[in-house]
Amino acid sequence: MKGRARLWVASIFSLLILALLACSDHTQVMPEGVLVVSQEQQASWIRNFNPLTTAAAARWPTLAGIYEPLFVYNSVKAEYVPWLGLSYRWLSGNQVLRVETRDSVLWSDGKPFSAKDVTFTFKLMKQFPALDRRGVWNFLADVITVDSNTVDFHFSRIYIPGFDEIAAQPIVPEHIWSKIEDPVTYPNENPVATGPFTEVRMFKNQVFELGRNPHYWQKGLPKIEALRFPALPSNDRANLALVFDEIDWAGNFVPAIDRVYVRRDPEHHHYWFPLTGSTIFLYANTTRKPFDDVRVRKALSMAIDRQFLIDVALFGYSRPSDPSALSDAYASWPKIEVSEQENWVRYNPEAARRMLDEAGLVLDSEGRRHLPDGSPLEFEIITVSGWSDWVRACQVIARTYTELGLKTSVRTYDFSAWFQNVLEGNFDLALGWSYEGPTPYVFYRWLMASETVKPVGEATTGNWHRYGSPRADDVLKAFEKEADPVKQRDLSLRLQRIFFEEAPAIPLYPNPSWAEYNARRFVGFPSAENPYADPSPNKFDRGECLLVLTSLRPR
Amino acid sequence: MRYILRRLGFYLVAAWAAVTLNFFLPRLMPGDPATALFARFRGQLSPEAMEALRETFGLTEAPLVKQYLTYLGHILRGDMGISVAYFPSEVSGVIATGLLWTILIAGTAVVVSFAIGTTLGIIAASRRGGWLDNVLPSVLIFVGSFPYFWLAMVVLFIMGFTLRWFPLGHAYSDNLTPSLSLEFISSVLTHAFLPVATVVVATLGGWLLSMRNNMVSVLGSDYVNLARAKGLKPARVIMRYAARNALLPSVTGFGMALGYILGGSLLTEIVFSYPGQGYLLVQAVRNQDYPLMQGIFLMITLAVLGANLIIDVVYLWLDPRTREIGR
Repeated sequence: MKGRARLWVASIFSLLILALLACSDHTQVMPEGVLVVSQEQQASWIRNFNPLTTAAAARWPTLAGIYEPLFVYNSVKAEYVPWLGLSYRWLSGNQVLRVETRDSVLWSDGKPFSAKDVTFTFKLMKQFPALDRRGVWNFLADVITVDSNTVDFHFSRIYIPGFDEIAAQPIVPEHIWSKIEDPVTYPNENPVATGPFTEVRMFKNQVFELGRNPHYWQKGLPKIEALRFPALPSNDRANLALVFDEIDWAGNFVPAIDRVYVRRDPEHHHYWFPLTGSTIFLYANTTRKPFDDVRVRKALSMAIDRQFLIDVALFGYSRPSDPSALSDAYASWPKIEVSEQENWVRYNPEAARRMLDEAGLVLDSEGRRHLPDGSPLEFEIITVSGWSDWVRACQVIARTYTELGLKTSVRTYDFSAWFQNVLEGNFDLALGWSYEGPTPYVFYRWLMASETVKPVGEATTGNWHRYGSPRADDVLKAFEKEADPVKQRDLSLRLQRIFFEEAPAIPLYPNPSWAEYNARRFVGFPSAENPYADPSPNKFDRGECLLVLTSLRPR
Repeated sequence: MRYILRRLGFYLVAAWAAVTLNFFLPRLMPGDPATALFARFRGQLSPEAMEALRETFGLTEAPLVKQYLTYLGHILRGDMGISVAYFPSEVSGVIATGLLWTILIAGTAVVVSFAIGTTLGIIAASRRGGWLDNVLPSVLIFVGSFPYFWLAMVVLFIMGFTLRWFPLGHAYSDNLTPSLSLEFISSVLTHAFLPVATVVVATLGGWLLSMRNNMVSVLGSDYVNLARAKGLKPARVIMRYAARNALLPSVTGFGMALGYILGGSLLTEIVFSYPGQGYLLVQAVRNQDYPLMQGIFLMITLAVLGANLIIDVVYLWLDPRTREIGR
């Protein structure tokens, strides 16, 4: 029995140790002056701060925080903010873009920044097409340094929207990158950059920290000492940390946020979801019958109760799309006026039925609709398994259509399989996003430009519904050559009109830009009361996060 | 010796078959890494980025056979290529970030669960009809049949979220740097406790039951009766005669479990945000990251085969009969 006694002693002893360990307080101690951010969801971090390869690989905020672009685009105010570039103008009949760069900017190693770094960056992208993720060399002919703070971009054709792609490009130092043999696979573990946070203070697989740039050109900024990024593998886990005050700034989807987050600490827990994301569309494959008929597309649009769909799928975080289909990022652009009668971007089931009848999709005695040649109609709407907002939206739509006599089922795929089908045009109906730019040009181009239409079976990144409008082509061509903001507004109205008449796709709602913040330790976040920029850390592609990072300060 | 050599030959063939499957299976999936990466951004990347992505990953159009031969060559040299999901890191580097932690929690869990479960199984069988035998197996099987995900969430919610006894995630406190200090080690232990404990609780029942059932049948055999009749001490009969034999099937299971450790415990890692292999594998599959998938599968394959080889050797020691066959 001695053995048993020993066993008991051993187990009691180990229990005691565990109890001791467990008794220490496990509330995460928040580091003083360090802003904790959750933007990427990863189980462990890989050290990569290369701003030129694909966005997916580099740690946030490599593109807008470590490195900086020439001009930052503020999507809430719809204006460019001079950043590394001071000003720009078009020369030689809009064939040349001249950019003045900022004086007195230093790289984080103390060496001066100049226009030569800008030229170098763009030349590097020409040499390595894998780095040209905005496709600038599709429209550029040459980039020339005029003097130490002037760069000329020579265009191969007049292409005004190209400015936006140039403006958003993060600039790298020539004295470092010219010595790198293969910039495509270079992990850039110790970045030398111009941004507010450049010093990697710590890098472990579950957390890393970025400290202040000692030579930052905006004197006295940033006011935050460092940024910290805990690795959180899932949305649920990130939300848990958010609720527990372990995260100061996040860009996650939080379900029922008022109850889950705000109510726990109404004084400090805040969110602001401006509707500046891309517009979510129901794309109908126009190469298939009956979606080639504009009346059918309009009818399918009028059948959907968008407000109900938004409440069910999106916790009411958005608003129904309007006839322009534009999100609030274009709030400063004028919108077309349409009469209630002809408006097909609203809920009107009677009109939907009438229009389906007109299109010849007649109802049989069993309540199902047929094509004029008698074949029964049956649709499949495809979406991504796990994107729960989209799955719910598709279910609402499928039920609505089935009630109309158009038997519709929802089919979910793993996202690469779904995307493959969408890109190659193998679908009846699919939910999808839109592409955005500072002007509506990019938006409408990928909705209805003939040049973006590819045959079914060939992958295309946009225009999945495969619709080309010769009328829109002319206006889009004019848009490419128009530098005058007033005339751009007229062109935008004409594009809206064409979109409204031809109904190439069915707009549902503008996606919110997700942003939650905790004001317990830091203040200065954008909010509905102080809307100085987009509040989301996800807005890094055009440098917008920089506006927030340089405005935040400890309480 | 011949026995071991024969087994080695068998494992070589098995390794080749696994490596080959490893190459072809991922390629049967629809899509490619560039589209997968692009889709993940839900429209935040401009359409032009797709071209750059394809350029970056250098998607090759070479015939499969040629790709296969290069792949075999690289594996022999230990070069697993560059990861797509964690571009431009080397696959070996990516795997290394989580490997130790995976071995720590999954390994500890398997060993602890096996040791406790088997011991309890022996005790239960030797006191058949006692309270331990009547209550414990059913309770453990009951607990074990909850979906693990749910069980772990509940434990995390109560012990971590409500009572705050244990941290909510990660392998050690974010404020510490890895070192051999007491503070760091105790941090690692507290962080590992919940993940390990939940896995142990969920898998204990299986070990217990299989050991108990084996014991029961062995205890009824003639040679055990003979040992008893000879008047050997009951403890000696149980441990040296019955348990040693009854352990054989459990040891096989243990070997398999050890091998799968390197696959990581996906659910554990997700629930407790623990850095490890399981989540890497999911990322790899989602991003059509062939090199990373192949790297992880290769590790799993080698680990399973290696564990089986060790088990074969252990068998030689445990079971004299295998030694006979070997000659």
